[in-house]
Amino acid sequence: MLASFEIREPDYGVLSPAAWPRLIIIIIGGLSVIYLIQSFSTPKKDIAPTPKKTFKEFVLYWRNVIAVFLIFALYLLVLPYLGMLIGNILFSFILLTVLGGWNAIITHLVIALGASGGMWLLFTHVLEVFLPRGSLTGF
Amino acid sequence: MDIFLEALLNIIDPVTLTYMVIGVGAGLMAGSIPGFTIAMAIVLTLPFTFSMPPAQGLATMISVLVGGLSGGLMSGILTGIPGTPSSVATTFDGFPMARAGEPGLALGIGVWSSFCGGIISAILLVLFAPQLAMVGLEFQPWDFFMLVMFALTVTASLAGEHLVKGLIAGAAGLFIRTVGEDDAVGVGRFDFGSDYLLTGFDFIAVLIGLFAFSQLLSDLRNPVTARNALSDRKQVKVKIEHRRAIGILFRNWTVVIRSALIGMFTGILPGAGGSIANILAYDQAKKAAKDDSKFGKGDPRGIIAPEASNNAVEGGALTPLMALGIPGDITAAIMLGALLMHDIVPGPTFIKDEPALAYSIYIAFFLASFIMIGMQSGVLRVFVLVTRIKTYILATVILTFATIGVFALHNSIEDIWTLFFFGILGFVMRQFGFPLAPMILGVVLGNIAELNLARALAIDSDPMLFFLRPWSLFFAIIAIFSMVFPIYQKHRDTGSLLERFFSPLVLLSISLPLFMMGGLLRTTLAFAAIAVSGFIMWRRFGKTKKG
Repeated sequence: MLASFEIREPDYGVLSPAAWPRLIIIIIGGLSVIYLIQSFSTPKKDIAPTPKKTFKEFVLYWRNVIAVFLIFALYLLVLPYLGMLIGNILFSFILLTVLGGWNAIITHLVIALGASGGMWLLFTHVLEVFLPRGSLTGF
Repeated sequence: MDIFLEALLNIIDPVTLTYMVIGVGAGLMAGSIPGFTIAMAIVLTLPFTFSMPPAQGLATMISVLVGGLSGGLMSGILTGIPGTPSSVATTFDGFPMARAGEPGLALGIGVWSSFCGGIISAILLVLFAPQLAMVGLEFQPWDFFMLVMFALTVTASLAGEHLVKGLIAGAAGLFIRTVGEDDAVGVGRFDFGSDYLLTGFDFIAVLIGLFAFSQLLSDLRNPVTARNALSDRKQVKVKIEHRRAIGILFRNWTVVIRSALIGMFTGILPGAGGSIANILAYDQAKKAAKDDSKFGKGDPRGIIAPEASNNAVEGGALTPLMALGIPGDITAAIMLGALLMHDIVPGPTFIKDEPALAYSIYIAFFLASFIMIGMQSGVLRVFVLVTRIKTYILATVILTFATIGVFALHNSIEDIWTLFFFGILGFVMRQFGFPLAPMILGVVLGNIAELNLARALAIDSDPMLFFLRPWSLFFAIIAIFSMVFPIYQKHRDTGSLLERFFSPLVLLSISLPLFMMGGLLRTTLAFAAIAVSGFIMWRRFGKTKKG
């Protein structure tokens, strides 16, 4: 809401550029109040049951999701340096291994090379899309 | 005729045909894998279509869609786990029939019912879309704005008792679209000094994040099931029994037509898709059957109804998209995204202004249904192979693919950050029980709503016109009643005042804008609405008095 007051007001046009987002924010605010009241009066049966006793249990329950978040964020941070080909191979290999375990490491490597390499070839040479090259790797 | 030929040549072009075959195959596979929805397959196809001509891109997406709608039945019938929410009801009778030793017949009935549903809805699409577009020509900015509001409220109301969550999601979708330059006057909003935010979130990256990324995260949440494959079957020796299936369909032609009409109508309603249509059609088939004792035990009608209806949904969903520029469901919303990507803005003049493209959509819809029939048997073998792949491997490969696809949209790494951010948002929303459909519709329709609001106020600053113009009032009334509908459903069979008065009140209320529209047909409809409303009230009060 505060950010909506920083929107520049032009001298032209009938509807101010801030009016529409402000109206939506007010509606969301009103609905949130109703939701808050509802949440106190109704049981939380639609929320996925999660063990929240300790931090460790929480992490264990969500470990795959947290792993995807972290690996994806890391991938995005190193993408400009490694480029899409190397970045994707590493991303898919690490993600496969973290999610599937170290037992099938060779299978994961083959899948990462095949899938990421195949897609890179498809986009670069068939669809002629320029994929980012890494500043460190050069491709 | 020249335009039809031009459209036909667009579609029967060898490259387009190849893409369509690949699209149907990909759709069949995506539809058949539980957890991987059709919308996800369509949204992931979008980046591919970017470099294609519009007709080719849309034909490819329609092929994925038709394939996806038919793919769900394979998993439902052979494993008892529906491949998509659109084929939940197929498992009720399909799986028992397959277990009783008739998997080939069950698949045959499913495949041919899908085909018939698709063809019937394609015919209705060709017939109705131009008619609806003619009505749409009467719409002014006030009416379009209210139409978008109606689309959002009806989609939110489908969340049932979670209406408030649905409305919050819809409003959040509208808000996401306000980030960046305002379309009406070009002023930056919520950019916080970032050039990327000034251009606004790429809405395809937002859609892929909200829908595909969040779905993959949900599939991977459980570490045990993530390492499991869908099935351990080494191979499946099933021969689809086409001839027997066609014979059964002929004998149950009323079920086919009724279910296709249910699917078509459900598809036209914004937000309501195959997941509702298949259950509705199954329920109606059961109610209409003289002997319903075999339902749930392998009755062919229990396969025909859901499969004919879920394939008919898309013809319905494409009708308001082509005629008014308002998508009927999420997949049609993604189609709208594809059109906008090619700078084509659908609306009432779309069929008139872009006839070749409109005909291409019709032809692609028909053709894709035939390709689907041809490919089903072949894909069945691949399906068995795919079901042996572990979930985490499929999810990782799809995630990698989504990443490249999103980058390819504008060659921008920021778009991948958008995918990531909205993937997290979508996942959190799913976990807290917020429906994503209203949010996606809000994202897609956000700027249409704002532009029409700005146009309406530029023409006349009186906001009361939103409730004084006939079409605008009509949409406002049905938007309000759609929000009350979940409460009405809760009070059904309780004998409450709301239950007694809801339907007559809806009819009475819509008679007012119908009168305001004038003309013989609409005035007659208004009188008919009043008469039916009076009849319902008379019957209900008569019952109460007797009671």
